Amino acid sequence: MGRFIYRRLVHGLVVILGVTVIVFVVTRMVGDPVQVMLPLESTPEQRAAFEQKLGLDRPIPIQFVEFMGNLVRLDFGESLWQKRPAMDIVFEKLPMTILLTAVGIGFACVMAIPLGIIAALRPGGVVDRVTVFGSLLGLSVPQFWLGLLFIVVFAVQFKILPTSGTGTPAHILLPALTMGLPTLARLVMLVRSSMIDELNRQYVKTSFAKGLPFVRVVGLHALRNAGLPIMTLVGWEVIRSLAGYSVVVETVFAWPGIGLTAIQAIEREDLILIQAIVFTAAVCVVLINIAMDFLYKLIDPRLKLA
Amino acid sequence: MNKWRGLFLAAVWLGIFLTGSAWAACEKVTIALGSEPTTLDPQIREDGGERAVNDNIYDTVLTRTPEGNLIPHLAAQMPELVSPDTWEVTLRPGIFFHNGEPMDADAVVYSIHRVIDPDFNSEQISFFSTIKEARATGELTLHVITNGPDPILPSRLYWLKVVPPVHSKDPKFAEKPVGTGPYRFVTWQRGQYIDLERNEDYWGTAPRIPSVRYRFIEEPGTRLAGLMAGEFDLITNLLPEFTSHVPRSVNVLGLEHPIIILNADSGITKDLQVRKALNYAVNKMALANGLFEGYAQVAQGQLLSPSFFGYNDEVKAYPYDPDRAKKMIEEAGAKGQTIELIGTSGRWLKDRDMVEAVAGYWEQAGLKVDVRIFEFNEYLNRLFDRKTRADAIFVVSSNELLDADKSFSAYYKAGGVGASNTDQTLASLIDAARSETDEQKRQRLYHQAVQRAYDQAYFVWLLNIEDIYGMSQRLEWPGRVDARLLIQEMACR
Amino acid sequence: MTQPRTDTLEQALAQNRFEWWDSLRELGRELKRDKPGLIGVILITSLVLMAVFAPYISPHDPSAQDLTARLAPPVWYDKGTWNHILGTDHLGRDVLSRSIHGARVSLWVGTAVVLCAGGFGVVMGLMAGYLGGRTDAFIMRWIDTQVAFPGLLLALIILAVIGPSLTTVVVVLSLNGWMVYGRMTRSAVLSIRQSPYVEAAEVVGCRWPRILFRHILPNLTSPLLTLAILEFARIVLAEAALSFLGLGIQPPATSWGLDVAMGKNYMFMAWWLVTIPGCAIAVTVLAINLVASWLRLISDPQEREKQYARHMAGVMRKNLLAALEKEKPPEAL
Repeated sequence: MGRFIYRRLVHGLVVILGVTVIVFVVTRMVGDPVQVMLPLESTPEQRAAFEQKLGLDRPIPIQFVEFMGNLVRLDFGESLWQKRPAMDIVFEKLPMTILLTAVGIGFACVMAIPLGIIAALRPGGVVDRVTVFGSLLGLSVPQFWLGLLFIVVFAVQFKILPTSGTGTPAHILLPALTMGLPTLARLVMLVRSSMIDELNRQYVKTSFAKGLPFVRVVGLHALRNAGLPIMTLVGWEVIRSLAGYSVVVETVFAWPGIGLTAIQAIEREDLILIQAIVFTAAVCVVLINIAMDFLYKLIDPRLKLA
Repeated sequence: MNKWRGLFLAAVWLGIFLTGSAWAACEKVTIALGSEPTTLDPQIREDGGERAVNDNIYDTVLTRTPEGNLIPHLAAQMPELVSPDTWEVTLRPGIFFHNGEPMDADAVVYSIHRVIDPDFNSEQISFFSTIKEARATGELTLHVITNGPDPILPSRLYWLKVVPPVHSKDPKFAEKPVGTGPYRFVTWQRGQYIDLERNEDYWGTAPRIPSVRYRFIEEPGTRLAGLMAGEFDLITNLLPEFTSHVPRSVNVLGLEHPIIILNADSGITKDLQVRKALNYAVNKMALANGLFEGYAQVAQGQLLSPSFFGYNDEVKAYPYDPDRAKKMIEEAGAKGQTIELIGTSGRWLKDRDMVEAVAGYWEQAGLKVDVRIFEFNEYLNRLFDRKTRADAIFVVSSNELLDADKSFSAYYKAGGVGASNTDQTLASLIDAARSETDEQKRQRLYHQAVQRAYDQAYFVWLLNIEDIYGMSQRLEWPGRVDARLLIQEMACR
Repeated sequence: MTQPRTDTLEQALAQNRFEWWDSLRELGRELKRDKPGLIGVILITSLVLMAVFAPYISPHDPSAQDLTARLAPPVWYDKGTWNHILGTDHLGRDVLSRSIHGARVSLWVGTAVVLCAGGFGVVMGLMAGYLGGRTDAFIMRWIDTQVAFPGLLLALIILAVIGPSLTTVVVVLSLNGWMVYGRMTRSAVLSIRQSPYVEAAEVVGCRWPRILFRHILPNLTSPLLTLAILEFARIVLAEAALSFLGLGIQPPATSWGLDVAMGKNYMFMAWWLVTIPGCAIAVTVLAINLVASWLRLISDPQEREKQYARHMAGVMRKNLLAALEKEKPPEAL
């Protein structure tokens, strides 16, 4: 076990380091953030002074050494755009993305399990075929378009939900729904196929024959055995969302999460904020990966961790 | 079964949410801005979102009427010139900051010194760059001393938001602004909203709207959706196409002028005939009506709006005369030659569309046009490139001082960041005007400069774009030429 | 092994061709039984044809502007005209023509990325699986590390820095998606390596590139094809999303995602600007998904098509063995 933790942590560190170095190199290739930040009519002297203040006039290797030094202290410096510590911004936005992800994927899980089970009860039946086709459709509709559609229908036509932003619980419904639908589609397919497998097993048939209640057989046995792949998928979806896929939904609904902030930082060539965001995303991904491995172990102790 | 119970619960849950989101009465108006303020310190950034909010929390020494004329605000009267480089400002008595600090000469002097301090590194420095120092001469009087004569100091004071000397030293000042203005700061939920409430003790006209919420939405489509859904009362930068679809809209002549800078020193555009022909070739009226649905005015052969100081109303736009343009191009021997036109995309309203439309007109006049649309950073490299000037560069100039000096120094005067001419006569006119404190003489100098640039056709002047605001049915606001969103001037039915 | 030996190359080829034809017909019969799969195949075929012949079938130049005919509605509205069947956008460009040309970009990006990422991933997976040892360890570490990268964020940043365009989109999406092919190929190679014919080939002294490409790779065709088709669907969506965010295809080029992004500002007065390209994306991806799920069905031995899958495998093995037999003499010399 100790060896396992050690190896995962080392690998995680390699990932985080790799990502930060790549981002450092790539962002230093950005033309010139100063040009974009100052008004068009600024004089060359004003530009030079500004550049010097940001420390962007020094040689790249020196900047890199300093950057790595600061990295150890989790201090990326002040965001060029917002003029406050980049990590403050990240810590302010990250919970919003986590909230959106949790509600969206939570909704998907809650819906997917009953839907998948119902579909699996009669493979090839009407319900099953509708579910499968619906899932395929859900996988095929682009998220950004779905979001726009929701805004037009629910917010502008019926005026029952807000178009964008945050504040009340009602604000999260449309973004979470948009975020959760593709996940729901993938999960339904998975639950359905694993349930079809499980329901055909001898032990399930025997349990039914013994007269055990349906909910108990399906819920306790079949579902538990299907748990591992479902969990893998859910974990993967969470990682996807935190690794940047939330940006589409956040952009459409002006949801102030890490994805929207990333896009804004990229538009404004805010190197420092970009670095902080990517670093945090990488840390999240690594942590979730490790957590998933532990969960595997919990669910299925036979699993060899290596 | 379990599933049905779950569905039922979900429905109840949904119902609670829906009924919970009741629409507020006219107690509070909501304004959607394109970007969130990065700070609420009114002196450090050059940031549209910050300005939109702080314009209501802070007062400036001078202000403008909705039509753009400078009038005293915190000052009791217009500043007086006591010597060529010294202006005397007299303040209104009895004004206090929201936290009780007095607004007096010391506060104004402090505010001036704060913003011009090189260590403070304000991005607004270009508005105040000529100010050397300020000195209190009485409790309510002060002297502002400039580096040499500065005739547009009053316009600069229109930008000076006065901050409280004590509270502004608080490290939390940038998050908790305290001013003298008609609205007080209530709360700022980063990424979500800023709330302001009416200052019941305001020294001026009492504001009518009790409280304001600002929301920040970058996407114009999302802003529009919010307005259509009734969530917002005012949105900025409405697309011209939507004026007939939103409940109400208001449009005022804005501060933005799209122009094309022609290279007067080399290349095909060195020939005055060609430069004039390029002006004659473009149907500016069609651009205004076709691209902007009429929400733009044809620029009258100058980089100024009628409300700007220095506007020469004797100069009119080059008329649209494609035959003449074609003939002049032929006479200049430029027929069939290639002209390079540089632009960017997505930075300004319909920037790319304008560039392509102009290119179309130039082609009709007999030139080959090499349109090059660059990503903004690369575009800026071209715009600032002093060594190899492109034949023609599209740019949108924006002038918040409403005075010819800023635009002319940047684009008209030889050596300016965006100038493509080395006309010393024009440069000396602009320099002379810069230090001329006699308003009449200064006006005449600018008139001459406008005429000179017009005769030499250093630019293709295109349009003066109107700002369009989308508004809810209940909000009333006539708009302002300086694009400030002053809640005090709004009313709600 | 008692395989019928073919004496001449021609005979072998003839036999092969016959078997291919046979399996194609079998596929056709399968397709007829699976209606959604059939619909998917028909849709994809017509999309491909549409993309290939876009310049001939689209009524207008997709980037031709006409400021006098802006935001014209589709033909079934009173103000619509047959000249612009699906209306025009905010610059007066024909929506139908743009949608037809948009198919080109989507399919081109999809194909290019699948080929690049698939090619690279398969080569890496083959090397890892076959060479084993340090190569394997290195490649697998690399894949593990890259899989844990926040991929989309990196893609956005790289695109923003080097400037978005068709080529950069393909490169970035390929860099982002090759790992899945690598992993799959490697595990397949590990299992196939144990099979007798590969061992036989090794025994007779085949060089490893030859074994990989002649013996192992053909066995991977079916699972790789299913994976590639699924990836294709994912890539089409990813390209649309990147273009929607403004970091994909740039104007004046056309792309469905880009059109949705531009139309979104006008969606309340011209719903067709958002709806039509959006539907185009959805239909394309749905068609690909239908085909993929059908392919999975027929290539999955666990499913009810067990019989057929066995038959396919048998055919494949026979072909391979025949090829092996043919190769033996020159190698042995």
